[in-house]
Amino acid sequence: MNAVVLAVALPLLGAFLTPSLARLSLPLGRLFGPGLLAFCLWLLWGIARALGDATAGVALGGFAPPLGIAFHLDRLALLFALAVPAMVLALWPWGGRPREWSLTLVLAAAATGLALSGDLFNLYVFYELLAVASYGLIAANQRPAAQAAALRYLLLSAAGSALALLGIALVYTQTGTLNLAQLALLAPVSLDGPLGLAAFALLLLGIGVKAEAFPVNTWVPEVYATAPSRLAGLLAGLVSKLAVLVIVRLLLVVFQRPEATQLMLVLGVLGIAWGELAAWRARDLSRQLAWSSVGQLGIVFVAFSLPGETGVLAGLAVALHHLLVKPALFLLARHWNGALEGLRGAARRAPLAGALFALFALSLVGVPPLPGFWAKFVTLSGLFAQPGPLCSLAAVVILTATLVEAAYLFRTLTLLFGPGGEEPRMAPHGALDLGTATAFAGLLLAGVIWLQPLTGDLHGIARQAVDMDTYVDTDLPTPRP
Amino acid sequence: MNLTNLAALAAELLLMPLLAFSIGLFLVLLMRRIGARLQRRVGPPFFQPLADIVKFYAKETQISHGLIHDIGIVMAVGGYVAAEALLPMPGMNGLADKGDVLTLIYFLMIPSLGLALGVGQCANPNGSIGISRALTAMVAYDIPFVIVIFGVAWHYGTTNLVDMIAMQQAAGWGLWDMPLLAVAGLLSLQGMLGKQPFEIYVAPAEIATGPMVEMGGKYMGGLFVMQAFQLYTAGALYATLFLGGGDGHWPTFLLQVFVVMAIPMSIAFQFPRYRTEQMISWFWRWPVALGLAGIALVMHF
Amino acid sequence: MTPLDTLFILSACTLAVAWAFGRRPAAGGLIAVLYGGQILALAKMSGLASGALTMIAASPSFEVLGQALSWRFDGPAWFFALITLGAAFASAWFMAGEWGEGYRRKGGRLGLLQVALALNVSSMLLLLASGDLLSLFIGWELMSWASFLLMLSAGGVAVRWAFKYLIYALGGAMALLGALAWIHAQAGSLQYAAVAGLFATLSPGQAWTLVLAFAAGFGIKMALLPFHLWQGPAYAETPGPGSAFLGAISSRMGLFGILVVLVHLAGLDLLDRLLIPFTHLDARDLLGWVGAFTLIVPTFIAVRQHDARHLLAWHGIGQGGYMLIGVMQGDALGSAGGLLHVFNYATYQAALFLVVTAVVHRTGTADLNKLGGLVTRMPLSFLVMLVGIIGLAGLPPMNGFVSKWLIYRDLISSGRPLMFVATVIGTLGTIISVYKLIHNTFLGQLRMEHEDIREAPWSMLAPMLGLIVIVFLTGLMPGLVLDWIAPVQAALGLPVLDHSLGGVDLPNGGLDMLWVVGLLFAGFGVGALLFLAGNRHRYVHPLDNYAGGHFLTTEVRYHYSDDFYPGLMHLIGGWYRGSIQWLERALVSALDFLAQWSQAWFRSAQPALWLLGVTVFALWWVV
Repeated sequence: MNAVVLAVALPLLGAFLTPSLARLSLPLGRLFGPGLLAFCLWLLWGIARALGDATAGVALGGFAPPLGIAFHLDRLALLFALAVPAMVLALWPWGGRPREWSLTLVLAAAATGLALSGDLFNLYVFYELLAVASYGLIAANQRPAAQAAALRYLLLSAAGSALALLGIALVYTQTGTLNLAQLALLAPVSLDGPLGLAAFALLLLGIGVKAEAFPVNTWVPEVYATAPSRLAGLLAGLVSKLAVLVIVRLLLVVFQRPEATQLMLVLGVLGIAWGELAAWRARDLSRQLAWSSVGQLGIVFVAFSLPGETGVLAGLAVALHHLLVKPALFLLARHWNGALEGLRGAARRAPLAGALFALFALSLVGVPPLPGFWAKFVTLSGLFAQPGPLCSLAAVVILTATLVEAAYLFRTLTLLFGPGGEEPRMAPHGALDLGTATAFAGLLLAGVIWLQPLTGDLHGIARQAVDMDTYVDTDLPTPRP
Repeated sequence: MNLTNLAALAAELLLMPLLAFSIGLFLVLLMRRIGARLQRRVGPPFFQPLADIVKFYAKETQISHGLIHDIGIVMAVGGYVAAEALLPMPGMNGLADKGDVLTLIYFLMIPSLGLALGVGQCANPNGSIGISRALTAMVAYDIPFVIVIFGVAWHYGTTNLVDMIAMQQAAGWGLWDMPLLAVAGLLSLQGMLGKQPFEIYVAPAEIATGPMVEMGGKYMGGLFVMQAFQLYTAGALYATLFLGGGDGHWPTFLLQVFVVMAIPMSIAFQFPRYRTEQMISWFWRWPVALGLAGIALVMHF
Repeated sequence: MTPLDTLFILSACTLAVAWAFGRRPAAGGLIAVLYGGQILALAKMSGLASGALTMIAASPSFEVLGQALSWRFDGPAWFFALITLGAAFASAWFMAGEWGEGYRRKGGRLGLLQVALALNVSSMLLLLASGDLLSLFIGWELMSWASFLLMLSAGGVAVRWAFKYLIYALGGAMALLGALAWIHAQAGSLQYAAVAGLFATLSPGQAWTLVLAFAAGFGIKMALLPFHLWQGPAYAETPGPGSAFLGAISSRMGLFGILVVLVHLAGLDLLDRLLIPFTHLDARDLLGWVGAFTLIVPTFIAVRQHDARHLLAWHGIGQGGYMLIGVMQGDALGSAGGLLHVFNYATYQAALFLVVTAVVHRTGTADLNKLGGLVTRMPLSFLVMLVGIIGLAGLPPMNGFVSKWLIYRDLISSGRPLMFVATVIGTLGTIISVYKLIHNTFLGQLRMEHEDIREAPWSMLAPMLGLIVIVFLTGLMPGLVLDWIAPVQAALGLPVLDHSLGGVDLPNGGLDMLWVVGLLFAGFGVGALLFLAGNRHRYVHPLDNYAGGHFLTTEVRYHYSDDFYPGLMHLIGGWYRGSIQWLERALVSALDFLAQWSQAWFRSAQPALWLLGVTVFALWWVV
């Protein structure tokens, strides 16, 4: 079980070794990172199989919490920890330079650590590491627009990190510990008042920068539009979900209060509205997908704000669906850059890409029997089951936003499939891009076929995630008085 | 249905159109005599309408513009012949219990359709203009007309014409119970018969008699037959709805039909012609208002 | 393996064949045969139509998210499926042969058309067979997208209208999804029994929201007012046989949805109890009046059209209003009339769309101002159109008369004068409009450029003639179709109509079409005898026409076609204000404005300052 640390340590080590290896032999350097990630994937898969339905706590270095840092392994954490190397492998920047490979490995390490961490300090460290890696990756592109976008992202992210640190400090002063399991025990008493809520708000805004939360998501369109598509896919698909995962953990374990969920709901609704509306007037595909991502993450926020098992299930469904769809869309958008008007007829010359785009668009909009529909349905049903007008309002906003999303996505599609005028001025899709996107589509369709077992698994994960007794017992095995 | 009933029915089905036609001929004569008197003339002799029809059928030149032209005239005459079997006469019910007043009204639209098809095939724009105006006029007068039908059907609780007559024989004429509806019915009758001021669809000098421009010989004869039937049917229907259908006596029935028909004819010869939109506008206001008021009275008292 | 499974498998086979071979015109015959096979499979389930069986289930069933999905056919499903498959069969037969070849030659995508048609049929069968609300929604979505594909297939102008349809359809789907999610949240289950039980326990506010959501969701597909703007042009621009199929049955799926949810699950009694404050109307009256206005407004929009396909498409919307009025009346006569109208309308509308397509195929245009006099060149097509318009206008002896008679009779019996007048206004508008259609196309002067055109080929004539035979026979013996409607009424909880082969036998005014049609033809016979008793007639050249002293030549165009009803338009022309079009544009502008606003926010220049402000606000909110 301790071997799970390798999943974090190895990519970090690999990141340091890669430049030297690459100087020695470029092909070796190119294959080193993916090889490491494949190994991590195999390792995590083995751990997950061995663990089964149980949870496990790993105290690093043998130091027990609250002094030592701990990893908490439950099905939710392992799900995302598995997703990290898988996604990074799928979206690996094969054509980049060695420094990009290093930074990507750092990103992978930090993301895995973020998924598995069991205390706030650890979470903060890995979050910062993730941020630094992403700054580097975004800024690797030398174009002025990219640099400006990276600067804005840096400013917001740094400010967000400061806020998060402030929030953590507040928590520490109130409770005296940073371990999540201990906080679970102490929080109902110590973090009950406005200070506790302030801490949550600060943490939410701070970590929310990565999670594209309203109002700290102004960096999203520029960064996704100017960064390389694979990176954009990674950020939009994977990194944002991990940030949401962190917030959800905090919500479930530490801040189980109605005001907290309400704040998340409100921010989610605003995110949906703003994102989908802005996407309506987008003039190029990457920005359109970026704004759409903001909207979808708003839905994720709203879904996770539902109390109890339903919330986690709904949020997981939407998040996982977006995890599959968005990176694939960004891959397709890589060769469809430039103004939307210039894409007229592009899908006729690349029918597979067009068909894939249509499939993903249908799933995003929520057409049964694709997985996107089931995710939306669970969310909406959960929202309507809550008393009070706010949740019903959120449901109506989601429905309206879906309509707007369908409008602009299919406007783009009719443009893509429309009568093309001029000669093809853009290169055809790269085989790797197309292949990866097809693989994602295959996974999506597999989700349709194996829908029943999949929902059963998700139910299990959700049930385990909300079970606080198990959580505490895992990390603090010493008997409580 | 046994053989005697069948024979009686067959006899009625033959007799009713024949009688209707004969009475219609005299109604045409009535119309021409009234017109003459109002214009200080003598008017035609007794059998003139019949003579006119025989003349038309016997003409040597009979021009047809195509098969649909022929079929149109057949439909125009045939539709009315069939409709007569649905309109009870004193002592003869025909098929009035197999099809009610709604069916009768639709049957009355078939001759117009046939005429429209025939005129269309003639390919004369004057004719087509005339049909266009005729159909527009139908939109005008049909609305108060169906309001009246609704009110009458509601009042009697039935759409069966035989039952309506029976109820009036028991309880008195519909005219006294539904005066507003009766007036509205009379006004829409003026439009239905295409009498001044609502004969825009004919407009002799403007569009060369409209639908009749290419009709000659037996085609014109067919239209004359149709006119005879139309006058009878309108009068008989009105008498059935409001005047008890003559209470089952032929003299009363004939008197009612002639009096009812005399009214629009007298009014007609004193008026010039309304334009199409004036006609629609007028019909959609006054007869409709009267009819709706009549229905309100009928339904709430 | 139940008969329903066989039907589904056949349907999937048809889709596969259309996908693989659809682009070859020669495969059209095979596809038409497959549709015929599906009709035979449906006929095997005719126990549902005679009332012997109430339900035939399909074998597959799933459970997702705790909801059981199942599919089965009952009386209503069988009835609507018959119409669907009949329309598809006629369209496919029409497409096979010369029309398909011509379409392909002109650059049309025949394969896409065949696939879209097959997909539509399969998804409609799936929709009709749904056994619970969730499978109903799934079928509904699939059918909506399939219709989108069919409307797209022509390309060009059609894409714009198909996109407009998509927005409307998705708006409706979102309303349905919201209602579905709400029901799931309240009742925990989407099985029909649970939903019906939930409806019984709702407060008026909740019931109103649900009723309006379902009515809007299904009504958009039927193009009920105010959602009627998309259907006319969208159906008109679909390629010929596709438009015949869509016009015949696609919008009626909305009526099916309303029947299942509002009439059966919610119940007309519930609708009666939902009162609109300050009026004496309830939800049922509201829906009835929506139907009435849907009848009048689109019919009079149709009067103004000068493209034959647009004219027919707008009439399609109007006739849907009839069906809703009939169904909302809720008693035996009215609901039978509404349901019968679904069948009747499908038969003559398909025939009319097909004949217009045949005219387009031969002459190249559907513009009513550019046609005329075709009766001499295409007599059988004229016959089809004549029967079609007599049916559409609702005159005896065709079947349209029977369903309209039933609705009128019911409105009189239940004492609804204003509704009665509204339906009559609709009928009158239809009559004047269809006469213009047949006059401008087939009657009048033959144009020079059309001197040499020939009659439509047999591959096109055969399905059209078959359809008009059905129109006439079901007009003569409406009892045949009323037999199929009785189980539908029973399954939906409506009172069943007592009928005979020829019609209905009511004590206070009934209808027996056998006698009526016999009488009519006897009258025609007498008329013919009188006609033939006159002197012999001879046929003259069309130019031998009264022209006030002028000579007519072929170059002189004297066909009265444009602005056919100037008098009427003088009066009502100003009433066409286009308010709903304005509303549509206003909504899009509002969306654009909001979108601009949100984009501006994303582009704000001082993110850090903004973040500070937000933090301060958040802290204030917290404390």
